[in-house]
Amino acid sequence: MTCQRCQDEAVVHLTELVDGRRRERHLCASCAREAGLAPPDSPPDLGLDAVLGALIAKHVGELVGELAESSCPDCRLRYVDFRAGGRLGCPRDYEVFRTGLMPMLLRFHGASRHVGKRARSRPGAADRLRLRARLRQAVAREDYEEAARLRDQLRPKEPHA
Amino acid sequence: MTLDDMTRTSGEWLRGTGPESDIVMCSRIRLARNLADFPFSNRASRGEKLGVESQVKAAVEAAELDAVYFDVNAMSNLDRQFLVERQIVSSELAGGEGPRGVAVTPKENVSIMVNEEDHLRIQYMLSGFRLPEVWEAIDDLDDRLEENVAYAYSSSLGYLTACPTNVGTGIRVGVMVHLPGIVAGKGIDKVFRALQKINLAVRGLHGEGSQAFGDFYQISNHQTLGKSEEEIIRMLTDVVPQILQFERQARQDLVTGRRQHLHDQVSRAYGVLKTAQTISSEETMLLLSSVRLGINLGLIDDLSIATVNELFIQTQPAFLQKLHGGELGVEERNVARASFLRSRLAEGRGDDE
Repeated sequence: MTCQRCQDEAVVHLTELVDGRRRERHLCASCAREAGLAPPDSPPDLGLDAVLGALIAKHVGELVGELAESSCPDCRLRYVDFRAGGRLGCPRDYEVFRTGLMPMLLRFHGASRHVGKRARSRPGAADRLRLRARLRQAVAREDYEEAARLRDQLRPKEPHA
Repeated sequence: MTLDDMTRTSGEWLRGTGPESDIVMCSRIRLARNLADFPFSNRASRGEKLGVESQVKAAVEAAELDAVYFDVNAMSNLDRQFLVERQIVSSELAGGEGPRGVAVTPKENVSIMVNEEDHLRIQYMLSGFRLPEVWEAIDDLDDRLEENVAYAYSSSLGYLTACPTNVGTGIRVGVMVHLPGIVAGKGIDKVFRALQKINLAVRGLHGEGSQAFGDFYQISNHQTLGKSEEEIIRMLTDVVPQILQFERQARQDLVTGRRQHLHDQVSRAYGVLKTAQTISSEETMLLLSSVRLGINLGLIDDLSIATVNELFIQTQPAFLQKLHGGELGVEERNVARASFLRSRLAEGRGDDE
């Protein structure tokens, strides 16, 4: 089959349903790329490294590149560590690793949105998580003045009555 | 209440009362919750875990549950194992490290684990098939705890948990069922496959990864996102009765087809338990399962279901060692187990007087 745009051999075949109507598209690699339907050109030099790299990206795409190396500013967990250990480090990780997590949630739960009981709104809580992270980092770099200041901020203002 | 006191009592959930209690040992719901202002347990420093512990302890106290808090970190391994056997803590909490503990009510219906995989693992159990009642109770308990702590929660993803497999409702709704009929009729794999197809999990008595013992199985949901607590409970309350019917049919088949054989098996099991001088844990479970079936089918009439239910827990290694007041080797435990069984089953007969 030939490409619908040029006369090269078509390698991308796509059937779309648009407003209930079926539309078939047959495109060659370069036209498909222009149409945003295929990954960008692979590097011309297909040495062993590149081949391996492409294979790894294909099979464990999320484990290399930006997402894998990204880490949570609060708990410092890296995405690769999460994938290795299976546990997230703090509530904020759900935002930080959102792109990696959403497909995973959809696969496991068959859903990606919460339905059911709601927690009370507690506006200050996320700020306190952040303060606590800064406290941990201050202690780690032995900045005790900053640590004392943060500890004061974290101290409960008044006991729950 | 101390751990030693607990060797003289047993959990309400073993009482063998409530609907369908011939098959459904208990109904249990667990909620996973985390405090919004702390990292999850696996990333928390010792100081942060202590902070979580003190906040949760204060919240439990304010909720007026009449619960006792046990510091699991300071406990001996034997005591930890004792709590695992009683289904009060998970083996993950027992084998964990750092500040952690559990709040338990005297009837052992409620347990609140602190610094397990999640900061809080709230559990509520009742004997028999009573999931809506359990949900009402644990929902209320959750509200009371939340008066004094801020939960990690997002409006789109619900309650945020350390493992994404629990996010959303953070709920695990389960029943513990005794299925000796289905096991004897070689139908258990079929049940497993059918439940897996509708996304329900089946596991042994001690939860994740554990072997079924004494023909006891736990059936529970494993998806927690995208369905409300009520929908998840309804899924269980719709499906479990079909399994009960399957089990009842299997028991009926045993009675009509091989009554003499069954009566013989049950009587021998009872006889061995009443007279053995040394007995392993595995054999005990197997025989207790037969005896429990025998009581439910009217083949044994001088022993209560509650006693048999309790014996499943009280013949476990840590319980026997607590009773003895120290560690026992395997051989010594087998002797202690047999002796304990003889005395408990002699009491059972005394009920006739």
